[in-house]
Amino acid sequence: MITFESVTKRYPGGTVAVDRLDLEIPDGQTMVLVGPSGCGKTTTLRMINRLIEPSSGRILLDGRDIHQSNPSTLRRGIGYVIQQAGLFPHRTIEDNIGTVPLLIGWGKGKARARARELMALVGLDESLASRYPYQLSGGQQQRVGVARALAADPPVLLMDEPFSAVDPIVRATLQDELLRLQAELHKTVVLVTHDVEEAIKVGDQVAIFRPGGKIAQLDTPERLLAAPADSYVENFLGFDRGIRRLSFLAAAGLSLDDRSVVGEDTSASMAADTARQAGDEWVLVTDGGHQPRGWAAASDLEALPSGSRAGQARLEPYGHTFDVRTDSLRAALDATVLSPTGQAVGVDDDGRVVGVTSYERLRAAIHAAGQEPPGAAPGGDAGSGAAGPAGQEPQSTASEAAS
Amino acid sequence: MDWSAVPRLTWESAYLGIVPALIGLIISLPLGIACTRFRWLYGPVLSATSILYALPSLALFIVLIPYTGLTDTTVIIPLTLFSLCVLVPGVVDGMRSVPDPVRQAATAMGFGTVRRLVQVELPIAVPIVIAGLRVAMVSSISLASVGQLIGVSSLGYLIVDGYQRDFAMEIYVGGGFIIALALVCDLVLVLVRRLLTPWQPRRSRGEAKALAAAAAPTAMAVAR
Amino acid sequence: MSFFSFAWNWLKQPQQWHGSGGIPIRILEQLYYSGLALLIAALIAVPLGILIGHTGRGAVLVVNIANAWRAIPTLALLVLLTIWLGFSVLAWLVPLVVLGIPPILVNVSEGVAGVDPELRDAARGVGMTPWQQVRKVEVPVAMPLIVLGLRTGAIFVVATATIAAYIGLGGLGRYIIDGLAVSNYGEVAGGALFVVLLALAVQAFFMGVRRAAVPKGLRQQGRAS
Repeated sequence: MITFESVTKRYPGGTVAVDRLDLEIPDGQTMVLVGPSGCGKTTTLRMINRLIEPSSGRILLDGRDIHQSNPSTLRRGIGYVIQQAGLFPHRTIEDNIGTVPLLIGWGKGKARARARELMALVGLDESLASRYPYQLSGGQQQRVGVARALAADPPVLLMDEPFSAVDPIVRATLQDELLRLQAELHKTVVLVTHDVEEAIKVGDQVAIFRPGGKIAQLDTPERLLAAPADSYVENFLGFDRGIRRLSFLAAAGLSLDDRSVVGEDTSASMAADTARQAGDEWVLVTDGGHQPRGWAAASDLEALPSGSRAGQARLEPYGHTFDVRTDSLRAALDATVLSPTGQAVGVDDDGRVVGVTSYERLRAAIHAAGQEPPGAAPGGDAGSGAAGPAGQEPQSTASEAAS
Repeated sequence: MDWSAVPRLTWESAYLGIVPALIGLIISLPLGIACTRFRWLYGPVLSATSILYALPSLALFIVLIPYTGLTDTTVIIPLTLFSLCVLVPGVVDGMRSVPDPVRQAATAMGFGTVRRLVQVELPIAVPIVIAGLRVAMVSSISLASVGQLIGVSSLGYLIVDGYQRDFAMEIYVGGGFIIALALVCDLVLVLVRRLLTPWQPRRSRGEAKALAAAAAPTAMAVAR
Repeated sequence: MSFFSFAWNWLKQPQQWHGSGGIPIRILEQLYYSGLALLIAALIAVPLGILIGHTGRGAVLVVNIANAWRAIPTLALLVLLTIWLGFSVLAWLVPLVVLGIPPILVNVSEGVAGVDPELRDAARGVGMTPWQQVRKVEVPVAMPLIVLGLRTGAIFVVATATIAAYIGLGGLGRYIIDGLAVSNYGEVAGGALFVVLLALAVQAFFMGVRRAAVPKGLRQQGRAS
């Protein structure tokens, strides 16, 4: 556990980068420090491994004041990843990764073996081990940077805008890798970013900094999106926070309709009847394995010669599907929006159709989720969860009546 | 044409050229590193070496005669001082060529100051330092021949003797060997650099720039 | 006895200051030879350097040539030209010019090439012809390096002129060479002393040129090292 006790950093000339900061960073989780430029988040990070010394206040690592330790010794127990990787150009990849192990006295053979382990862990091909940094791409270099930080198995990992210098696709991949690594390793990660999306994606806890080095709100990503403490936080989170919050609500809560789902071998006229009875214009046609094939309009089905099968009708593409067990309400909403028929297809692990949803059902699910207290079972959250316009009051009660 | 003296004279030229460059390097390393640590130091050091560099070698040899006689030392000391003008900026530029993220990463990983210097900064500085060393060495080898005018023996002897006897061949040999010696030393340094820096891409822009900087001493420093 | 006492004993003799072999004359001779050679070297190297810096071509070649040029032994050049041409103006002028060109060329081309590309773009965008760009933007911005090139060239030229006394040239080197011939160390020391003073004066002169020629906005550049 890392504790900040009333830590201040003042620069000659009067600038206060960090202002009486109190912060507790729990073990085994990812804490993201996010905020605009100059808000003190990087300064805060760098005080943990004493690259910057506080003007006043204490910082404790597992109960011990870090000021008591020798800085070099302290740093060998803390991993550090920076934006431009900072790989040693004059060492091979495996020697780069093995830097801290070598520093603390491992033999060269042991350090190299460990380097290879880590390369596998971060998804780098072994053949890159004897290459030099200039031969690697930006994304690969960042992975090496992470591997290097993890080499001596430090309990704490500090990351300073680690993914900002790579393009968005690589960035997303690296963020996923971090989540995967954390699921395996459970390090205490402190990550600084200016990208609030990144904070929400990778953080277990997110601290939003105000300019001037104070924390505006410290919370889980869900609670931040559901209940921003003030207008600064709200603005910082961005205009579609309502929809983004839906990523934390599980699609499992959605009720699905399987009446309008027919097999391709069903007779066309029966399929059309099913649709009419349900009051829908469309039916979803599935194949033999219960995989979705496409949407058929009732009118098209009726127009087919008698004796035809549903599968022979003209089919609209079914668009995106969502996994009912693992996807979020946001994915379901997105699939619905993308669907040509205003209905999205929910599938299971094997891709087999479970049912279809509609805007109405989504609205009901969102509303229901909004009624649950914060932190409850999958995705419950206080406050309005409706996908409404920005600027909504956090505590407003849902007023739409469910149909 | 008496070739028998040539090997000895070549060796003397080599000695008079290489020693000042190497001693200059030994002085420049700590001095240059100090200049990167204490920025205010660099200006005065640069001014001092520039002023020394401006003085004609012959004059400096003569200034030293009452103190060191007509010996090798009289030639070596001024040439060493000249080499500082190229080598100190070489060391400073070399140290500055270490990218900040690399330095920061090294500190953050727990490298102490000395270890970081020796294991990270100096190895990375090698290409630029060697670029400076090449210039220093070539200049020293060439300038050493002027020492012949005060009787300090080198390949310059062939030039002087050839002039006195109106024997052009000797001059060609003397001048030619000096140039050849300088080029050989240059090549050796290039090889040394290649060996020490397997980590560099073959064609590096930084190196061409470093050579340019070294070729016009204090140019890069002034243009900062 | 120290260097200074030798020199002092010699130069305090009044006859050193008179006549065609006197100190003032020799100083003027040295300045004349050096000045002439530097001027010619500059007339060749400055336009060439501007051209190379502006077009960006041949820069690497320039660096390599400059490096190789340093290997040329001054004495050999002077002596060879004397043997080929007999002692004449060319015998001393050519080596002085040849050794003065490389530093000017390298510095000028570096200076012009090093002008911020955005500045160049701005000049082009405003509608300046290449010649105007050079004259109004590139040269002024490159001025510190151009002056440095001339200053460095002056170093080589003055030094070579001193040595050229060996092949019969006048100037302060005369005292050194003649003095060595008759083992009159006083004369040798006196000559060396004035050579040193002259060299320092020349450097001071170029520092002054730099002040005058470098536009005020750029002066910060040089001092930061």
